[in-house]
Amino acid sequence: MSVQYMPVLWNRNKIFYDAVLLIAVGLYLFVFIRVAPAFEDVSKPIDGAILRMRAFGSCAFLMLTIILCIGPLARLDRRFLPLLYNRRHFGVLTAGIAAVHANYVLGWYFNFSPTDKYAALLSSNTSYGQVLGFPFESLGIAALLILFVLAATSHDFWLSFLGAPIWKALHMSIYAAYAFVVLHVAFGALQGPADPIFTGVVAASVVLVCGLHFMTGRMEAARERGEETAKASLQENGWVVAGDLDDIDEDCAKVVTLNEDERVAIFKYDGKLSAITNACAHQNGPLGEGKVLWGCITCPWHGYQYNLADGRAPAPFTEKISTYRLKLIGSTVLLDPNALPPGTHVDPVEIGGAA
Amino acid sequence: MQTAEFLIDIGRYYLYAGGAVAVLFLVIGIERVEPSAQESYAFRPLLIPGICLIWPLVLYRWFHLEREKEAEE
Ligand code: HEM
Ligand code: FES
Repeated sequence: MSVQYMPVLWNRNKIFYDAVLLIAVGLYLFVFIRVAPAFEDVSKPIDGAILRMRAFGSCAFLMLTIILCIGPLARLDRRFLPLLYNRRHFGVLTAGIAAVHANYVLGWYFNFSPTDKYAALLSSNTSYGQVLGFPFESLGIAALLILFVLAATSHDFWLSFLGAPIWKALHMSIYAAYAFVVLHVAFGALQGPADPIFTGVVAASVVLVCGLHFMTGRMEAARERGEETAKASLQENGWVVAGDLDDIDEDCAKVVTLNEDERVAIFKYDGKLSAITNACAHQNGPLGEGKVLWGCITCPWHGYQYNLADGRAPAPFTEKISTYRLKLIGSTVLLDPNALPPGTHVDPVEIGGAA
Repeated sequence: MQTAEFLIDIGRYYLYAGGAVAVLFLVIGIERVEPSAQESYAFRPLLIPGICLIWPLVLYRWFHLEREKEAEE
């Protein structure tokens, strides 16, 4: 049975998240439209529609900045993880806000154009060869198209239908969208009369987004190097790579063959890993094909049971089987191939604690 | 001006084609290639904008998944 698709999945956390999001966006727009006029040049008062266009444009830009910061922040500190899981609604709302911004532009500058509004927008400036007066609108259009595609493909269905590699590659284009927006602003608003606040905000955003990605990149490279050395030194001591953590299903085992008649079953259960011999003490039944219940494995042949942590059958039974030592480095499971005497207790490897 | 109108026409026809693909896919394709979508209808209209925008990719995946299914049988 597979889970059926629903239009939108909400739970308490997500409703809370969405509520905070909507309130924050509403407040930002309200304050911008109320407060910005106080800072404006009295000799060049700006019109309400332009003000709203700027409010929505800058709001979308800030939201995009936050979206791009959430990823590296969550990798730096797990406390940011809840933000990561809810990024989807954030993204859809950003696309919506950006669309309102673009719509104001169309409505304001091209409403009275005798030709089609969209054609007028595209053809009003085609001096793609120059920096000053570059048709920055087209950069905005490119960004908006990307945001639309991402918002439209954010439903779980798309991840499953396109497959993770294609979906991820598609959604990586959020970085292109960000680059387009930065250029859109750099060639557009920032070329106008100097506005130190807005220039500062844009510069801070670029520094923040690039800086965070650079930092997490270095951190992860360092961690990977550390993991490589740890792995190499274990392997030097004879440990073997048993495979990747994700290869093992919850409450099931991966069976590793050490030689002709020695197989080890590595179990994943309750957020832990334990390794025991694959051979049941009764008649060599394949323990690795059994399922874990309450930290015990039941042999699929005749039902003998063993505690995974020490390979002992629960009292009053007395059967014992060999246990093995494990280490988890990154997501790689390493196994000490030297069997411990039957019934030796080995602390299970905590999966969360490895990171 | 002419270039602009031409670009917009291309965009328009691209979206029309996407609409046609959306109808085909939501009526026939989705049940065949995405078992989890069987008998859930409410979420399907939500997919229309996405299909209109990336319909060549949708067709590609649809074709690919059908072939995979055939290979399994
Ligand atoms: C069809 C797409 C778009 C069009 C036609 C468009 C057009 C414009 C125009 C005409 C301006 C005015 C520049 C000025 O005041 O000198 C502007 C500013 C701006 N746009 Fe866009 N834009 C589009 C998409 C976007 C998107 C997707 C974003 C962000 C996600 C964005 C963010 C901004 C920002 C931050 C400003 C500066 C606002 C300010 O001056 O405070 N735009 N855009
Ligand atoms: S072989 Fe395991 S219970 Fe008999």
